[in-house]
Amino acid sequence: MRKILLMGNPNVGKSVFFNRLTGANVIESNYPGTTVDYTKGYTKGDSEDFEIIDVPGTFSLEPKDKAEEVAIKMLEEEKGALVICVVDASKIERGLYLALEIIERGYPVVLALNMWDVAEDKKIQINIEKLKSILNIPVIPTIAISGKGFKEVMLSIKKAASVEVKEIMEKVGEIK
Amino acid sequence: MEKKLSKMNYEEEGRVKSIEQDLKNKVAGMGIRVDKNLKMITKHPLKGPIVVEVNGAYTSLALSVADRIIMEVKR
Repeated sequence: MRKILLMGNPNVGKSVFFNRLTGANVIESNYPGTTVDYTKGYTKGDSEDFEIIDVPGTFSLEPKDKAEEVAIKMLEEEKGALVICVVDASKIERGLYLALEIIERGYPVVLALNMWDVAEDKKIQINIEKLKSILNIPVIPTIAISGKGFKEVMLSIKKAASVEVKEIMEKVGEIK
Repeated sequence: MEKKLSKMNYEEEGRVKSIEQDLKNKVAGMGIRVDKNLKMITKHPLKGPIVVEVNGAYTSLALSVADRIIMEVKR
């Protein structure tokens, strides 16, 4: 069974995401650091089943505390896994930093721009098409607490593939 | 004027001038890089952590970390 890791900064909604995908009932709260260990669950895709792992939040792939250590170790142990990188759309920059680090390590990534409603409230505009063409990975706006975008996330898993960071950097260079 | 991030006052804003080399990657994940604008939100007593605003998001830093980030502030 293919494994999917849910990764992202602390307090972006990974556990809400996990509960939605698996029907489990992991503790959620609105402060960072709720998940310090990992949880596993299962979900059905349209053609195959997946094992989903809820990973503690981390800012980067350089561990600073116990929870981050767990997160990084899990990523390294699951070489063949696919990663859904959950990003807080209203704090997109630091989320993209982590996403790039995961892409750099060669994992296929699906980028979920979670808390889309919060970003809209803050009048933050994100050009999804441009982000998609730069990163060359699926980018999907989601609202985990209402379930918006989940169908698209599951459908896009098939399209996710490893991308060379060099290619991304070249495209970023063009924009400047 | 140059000062350490840990020495900034409440509400004071500044631009990151330099970060000690071995700290750079650690704080980059929180959106703190050279040339970023930061605003001091909270300082805690007894050498507690500070909270700064970066890109519209709050992030907290240990005072020992803030000591190693040099800021450029107006005036």
